[in-house]
Amino acid sequence: MSAGWMIVRRWMVDRRLSTISWTVGLAVIVVLTAAFYPSLSETTADLGSDSSGAMSALLGLSSAIDPSSPLGYLWIGLWANVVPMTQIAFGIALGSAAIAGDEETGTLEYMLSMPVTRTTIAVSRFIAAVAILVVSGALLCLSLIVSIPLFELGDSVTTTASDGTSTTQPGATALDAFNGTLSSTAVGLGFLGLTYAIGGITGRKGTATGVAAAIAVGGYVLYTISNSTGSLDWLAELTPWKWYVDDASLVLGVSWAVIRPVIMAAAGFVVGAVVFARRDLQPAK
Amino acid sequence: MTTVIETDGLTKQWGQLIAVNHLDLAVEQGECYSFLGRNGSGKSTTARMLLDFIRPTAGSARLLGGAGADPAIRGRVGYLPGDLNLPRAMTGNDAFDFFGGLRGSADDPERASLIDRFGLDPTRPVRELSTGNRRKVGLVLAFLGDPELLILDEPTSGLDPVLQEEFRSLLADRKARGVTIWLTSHVMAEVERVADRVGLIRDGKMAKELAMEDLRHQTTGRIRLGFAEPVEASAFDGVDGLTTVDVDGRDVTVSVDGPVAALLRRAGDLGAVHIETQRRDLDDIFLELFDLSADDGASP
Repeated sequence: MSAGWMIVRRWMVDRRLSTISWTVGLAVIVVLTAAFYPSLSETTADLGSDSSGAMSALLGLSSAIDPSSPLGYLWIGLWANVVPMTQIAFGIALGSAAIAGDEETGTLEYMLSMPVTRTTIAVSRFIAAVAILVVSGALLCLSLIVSIPLFELGDSVTTTASDGTSTTQPGATALDAFNGTLSSTAVGLGFLGLTYAIGGITGRKGTATGVAAAIAVGGYVLYTISNSTGSLDWLAELTPWKWYVDDASLVLGVSWAVIRPVIMAAAGFVVGAVVFARRDLQPAK
Repeated sequence: MTTVIETDGLTKQWGQLIAVNHLDLAVEQGECYSFLGRNGSGKSTTARMLLDFIRPTAGSARLLGGAGADPAIRGRVGYLPGDLNLPRAMTGNDAFDFFGGLRGSADDPERASLIDRFGLDPTRPVRELSTGNRRKVGLVLAFLGDPELLILDEPTSGLDPVLQEEFRSLLADRKARGVTIWLTSHVMAEVERVADRVGLIRDGKMAKELAMEDLRHQTTGRIRLGFAEPVEASAFDGVDGLTTVDVDGRDVTVSVDGPVAALLRRAGDLGAVHIETQRRDLDDIFLELFDLSADDGASP
């Protein structure tokens, strides 16, 4: 077994309990929310029609999304906010642990006394962190796929407007679950890369976590302000929320914009790994 | 003879703080070199530069003919940091499997005997281990795979006297096999049994380098003489090998470098009534040397 693979495996094994707990917790939230669809779908329909522009922005609603449909319900209930936020939090936790977290505890220094290069460690840790996020995302997707037939989310819904025209919205499918989870996991991946880069540069977990979390939360606030006021659009474009919520992959399918956070993660990886390979290791705290 | 550790003007500076200052060092194959100094004198910083955890501001360091950054070189080095940090969920066995695996020494036949020698329970997770037991895990890891060079940063810190003795015995065993050892310490007695040479580091500078034999020599040679009547220090003028003479009434304490026959003859002539040899503690010499090096440093 190569040294790189050994490091990937060990890092994942060391985090198995926290990963399982996190993923199971998220899957339970998905299943519970899905279970309330039959009774809450009408409420969400009212919520959609009564919402102001700001509220619609917060809910992630656009004119193309019917909140009474299964996908609309899942979107405003989970995928427009709760799911990406939790995956961003998970990405930040993994990205900060990959280099900075272990550097701060001093475990990374001992690893560096072994016959492995800093680049091998940096690459292996990034792969392990991404693998954990992807596995967690896959299980999240699976929890939704399992919930679809259990809670009538696969049934199409026909609504009749006041002018007598009726519209039929399709039920949720496994492909929709995949599209939605792919996008939310991609956002988490982007923040994983960002946090990894800051950790690789500074070697300090608190700094990496704090800066990345501030960017995530600040971006969300900026997006909602931009959406409700119509200003600062150009700035909102820089946040992942703009494309993620506007494109609503769970409902409308995956768009090419999903590549943005992947590029952000790749750039973060390169910057973090290169700087880490060249700088002094920080002493353990 | 091959030089295993070689530093040339090695310097590490953070802002105004010079942690290591133009350090020139050469440790030969099979030698046990002890780096002695007080806390914060630059011992651990030197070790961290040797293994490329931090990069020198100036100068260079070479290990086993190569760079500490080279994985092939690090694979031949056993390292014990001053403060060993391992993932908390890892057990001793996990650590030996994982780090031993990276070094290609997980199946070292000596693994079981090393664990047994230090009386370690390798099934317990690191988070449950006391400081001394974590030290034992670190020592087993350092010795696994029979490395050519051991870099040990304050290795007996946290070990009880029995295990300290076991460690010294193991070190002597490795030294007999030709392993080169570089260890840091601020306890003179710790290195007395194993070191061939000591380097005294003060404020990042090499204050003095001495062969252990010379140090041991300084522990002997102090003789206290008792006289019936008070004598003057000048009464010992011209005695061969006499380095110091301290007079306190009818008691005279002298240091002798070399044969004592001339001193004994003079003492007899002066009417000495009793004679007593004194052995100085190595720690006293250590403190004395540091005082001297401080004086050297203070002089222009």
